[in-house]
Amino acid sequence: MKIQRTIALAAMLAAGAPAMAQDFKPTRPVEFIVAAGPGGGSDTFARVVQASLSKSGLLTSPIIVTNKAGGSGAETFIYAKTSPGDPYKLFFGTQDAYVLPLASKLSYSLDDLTPIAAMAFDPFLLWVNPKTSGIEDVKGFIAKAKEQPGALKVGGAKAKEADETLMTLIEQKAGVDLTYIPFKSGSEAAIQVAGGHITANVNNPSESVEQWKAGVQKPLCVFEDARLEDKTVIADGMSWNAIPTCAESGIDVKSFAQPRTVWMSAKTPPEAVAYYTELLKKAAETPDFKAYVSRGAQIPRVLTGDAFKEFIAKHKASYAEMYKTNGWLRAEN
Amino acid sequence: MVISRNAAEFVVAFVTGGLGALVCYSALQNGVAWGASGPEPGYFPFYVGCLIILGSAGTAVQALWRSGAAEVFADGHNIRTVAAFFVPLVVLVALCQWLGLYIAMALYLFFATWLGAKLRPFNAFLVAAITTAANFVIFEILFTVPLLKGPVLEYFGIY
Amino acid sequence: MGNFGQLMDGFAVALTTHHVLIMIAGVLLGLVVGVLPGLGAPNGVSLLLPLTFGMDPIAAIILLTSMYWGALFGGSTTSILFNIPGEPSSVATTFDGYPMARKGEAVRALTLAFGSAGIGAMTGVIVITLLSGWVAQFALRFGAAEYFAVYFMAFASFIGMSGGSPFKTLVSMMLGFACATIGMDTISGESRLTFDWDPLIGGVSFLIAVIGLFGLGELLITMEEGVKFEGVKARLSMTEIFRTLAELPRYWATLIRSAAIGCWMGITPGGPTAASFMSYALGRRFSKRGSKFGTGEPEGVVAPETADHSAGSCALLPMLALGIPGSATAAVMMGGLMIWGLSPGPMLFTTRPDFVWGLIASMYLGNVIAVVLVLATVPLFAYVLRAPFKVVGPIIAVVCVIGAYTVANHMFDVWLALVFGVLGYAFKKLNYPLAPFVLAMVLGDKAEDAFRQALLTSDGSASIFFANGLVATMMGLGILLLLLPAISYVHRRFKPDGAREGVVSVVAAARYDGRDAPATTAGQ
Repeated sequence: MKIQRTIALAAMLAAGAPAMAQDFKPTRPVEFIVAAGPGGGSDTFARVVQASLSKSGLLTSPIIVTNKAGGSGAETFIYAKTSPGDPYKLFFGTQDAYVLPLASKLSYSLDDLTPIAAMAFDPFLLWVNPKTSGIEDVKGFIAKAKEQPGALKVGGAKAKEADETLMTLIEQKAGVDLTYIPFKSGSEAAIQVAGGHITANVNNPSESVEQWKAGVQKPLCVFEDARLEDKTVIADGMSWNAIPTCAESGIDVKSFAQPRTVWMSAKTPPEAVAYYTELLKKAAETPDFKAYVSRGAQIPRVLTGDAFKEFIAKHKASYAEMYKTNGWLRAEN
Repeated sequence: MVISRNAAEFVVAFVTGGLGALVCYSALQNGVAWGASGPEPGYFPFYVGCLIILGSAGTAVQALWRSGAAEVFADGHNIRTVAAFFVPLVVLVALCQWLGLYIAMALYLFFATWLGAKLRPFNAFLVAAITTAANFVIFEILFTVPLLKGPVLEYFGIY
Repeated sequence: MGNFGQLMDGFAVALTTHHVLIMIAGVLLGLVVGVLPGLGAPNGVSLLLPLTFGMDPIAAIILLTSMYWGALFGGSTTSILFNIPGEPSSVATTFDGYPMARKGEAVRALTLAFGSAGIGAMTGVIVITLLSGWVAQFALRFGAAEYFAVYFMAFASFIGMSGGSPFKTLVSMMLGFACATIGMDTISGESRLTFDWDPLIGGVSFLIAVIGLFGLGELLITMEEGVKFEGVKARLSMTEIFRTLAELPRYWATLIRSAAIGCWMGITPGGPTAASFMSYALGRRFSKRGSKFGTGEPEGVVAPETADHSAGSCALLPMLALGIPGSATAAVMMGGLMIWGLSPGPMLFTTRPDFVWGLIASMYLGNVIAVVLVLATVPLFAYVLRAPFKVVGPIIAVVCVIGAYTVANHMFDVWLALVFGVLGYAFKKLNYPLAPFVLAMVLGDKAEDAFRQALLTSDGSASIFFANGLVATMMGLGILLLLLPAISYVHRRFKPDGAREGVVSVVAAARYDGRDAPATTAGQ
């Protein structure tokens, strides 16, 4: 009896489903799925978006944040593949969405995702502990690295991802030989530098800024075209703006910032895509989100629609190039 | 039907040994050497797999060695009681896939307490209803954790 | 003393009606979360995060930490009553807590657990208060090699502990290592043991294994044996609770040892789960009644609970002072801090002393509130045991199924928990020890990462593990702990009355406490 009823209901449900409203408006809880564990960069990003949307009343439906950090976040995008067209699931990550499949054999591809927006760009900096390493600037760093090839240990988050890629770029552009040591997160690597166990690390500002204030880390240069804008003094009488770019100080690596990206699954109805694109644009304007961006010295640049797609294509190609040089690229790509 | 303890020892040792072999096989694909700067990714898993195989073999030999004792692992009564509990549990999980957790849970509890624990149908219904409702309140309302709903609840507008 | 003055200011912040109410609400929510397996403290705290967006940071962190205390207490409850650890860190509590409950001493076991947990937490908070400045400096001395040494010590203390066949211990522990390996390798970025199969790419959650091995496995055994809980006999009076609390000071040696282990593991990256295991193992080795551990020995409940809670409290300190979370829950809270606009790190103590000391003061109050509230629930929980097991059994099964699902919202996990359930059933009936499996699964990948990171740092030279006083001492202690079973075995062999027949393996020797132990007043 019960089973028959279920089948009947299921059939009715199937018939009723296509009656989609013209203008999309969420009527049930929206799920944010994060490609990082609690406390990670993408996690903070997603939760700040959640906070700014719910506090400002831009989105009244409840927002549920879940973390699927497995496989360096691949779990999140595989999950996206299993729920195509679901207008209640947003996926939060970085460039990992399109970079992960370059090196690892994964069952999803970029075609399983609909790009929604990049909401900010998190720059990378080169950090050392000036006290334990005796390095004060990029010149000193390069000199030391040339003195003893392979002896300088550079830490970063995870293997064969942004941090290690950046390290190999430094090696190529500065003509030095370094040893990369992967840690579970950028903040762990930062502490290892602060404790003098390794020489340097490449990190986003937010994960090392407190160590900088405490005098156990010092930023050497920023991997961007231009200096960061914030002129508020942070520590040692220096502001973010006072940090030279790496290009001007001898390591010719530019615009390496990682985008903070939001995705939906493939086949999402266009009206839902349009709705969330507008929503996230507004979210980026809220005081909460702006405070988050400036706290982490991130670059406030929002990309949506075709501009975002163009950026993805370019960024993916540049990563593929770098991966190829490093020998990490999978044969199929 | 009686399963002797030795038979059970062998089966379990065989299964764990097989798992060990699987671990070794997978580790081989990651490289098992000790490189210039420490072990390769497959190094530890490979030896872990080897030790599993070793331990399993040891267990099997030990069982053989003291095979004099005709200890019983499970007799017919045991098997029936365990199956009577475990099979419905498997059915519950299978039902969860397409009925959602709440409906499957309610059905399972009703039948398990009615037929299994010999409660009166009405009492069994009460147990099922109260437990399911309590879970719904705790997860959906208190902590806003969405459990798998399935098509039926979705039809009634419960997401 | 500067810290003391600041603590008093902290109490002024924490002791408002508003904040005390938040503490009570947090503890109660935490109890619910802790009782449900799968929905442990880290999940619970992350679920509450959105609620805190509108609060000021002090109220928010008080809510989250209070919930953490509640969850830790709740986790022990199900460990003792149903052999289902609600929290990973309460696995070790099942070893003696559950046998006690089966013997009809559920109320006593729960009270002991809560009482000693409260003492452990207090010790942890006092350590934080006194040593906050020093700990941050100390923790900075931990590089990869030191991390490894901490894990090594935890393993070493545990290795000789489990009785029974050494082969079975080996299989159990190595399977635990293998499970910990599944997923993406941190050092190489390669996936291991996943067989390119999507559900495995994220690895196998420790919680799933625990729900299956302990919860479902035990359920199957209990059903088969048709065991009735003797809960009916248990007295539910408050006098029983007070009598048990009065018993606690007798275990002073265990309490001190366990609290010390807990604080150490909380400050270093060991974490509460490893702390509770290590404390249980050392309790078994050094307690006068150690040989009775595993059969429902009160000290076997006191040891892991004290260490668990002192580690849980101390783990918050590295999180605040360095931005390095000492436990999974601390990681979620750290995320919270960043969302509220605070940056955890060395400067937090100077830039926001009101926040830090308000939090520390709230830890004192929150724990007192938690102990009182949780003791009040003891009769309620014990009452559950009066219901016929044939009715309670299916409900527990459902709780396990939901628990497995809520770990990551995957049906695959539920199936996996069933598989682990069968494995747990078979292992238990064939006397495979489960504790080595659990410990290996908790610490296995961390230990491997640390080991490989250390070797990368030293260009492959193993001398890094003895490179400075700190790491050399820890490694030396670890080796000593490793050899202890053998030493005590030899020691015993040459004693006239020590030899017990048929005990050949070194492993079994570890169960001997190495002393002529007359039955003392401990226990009844």
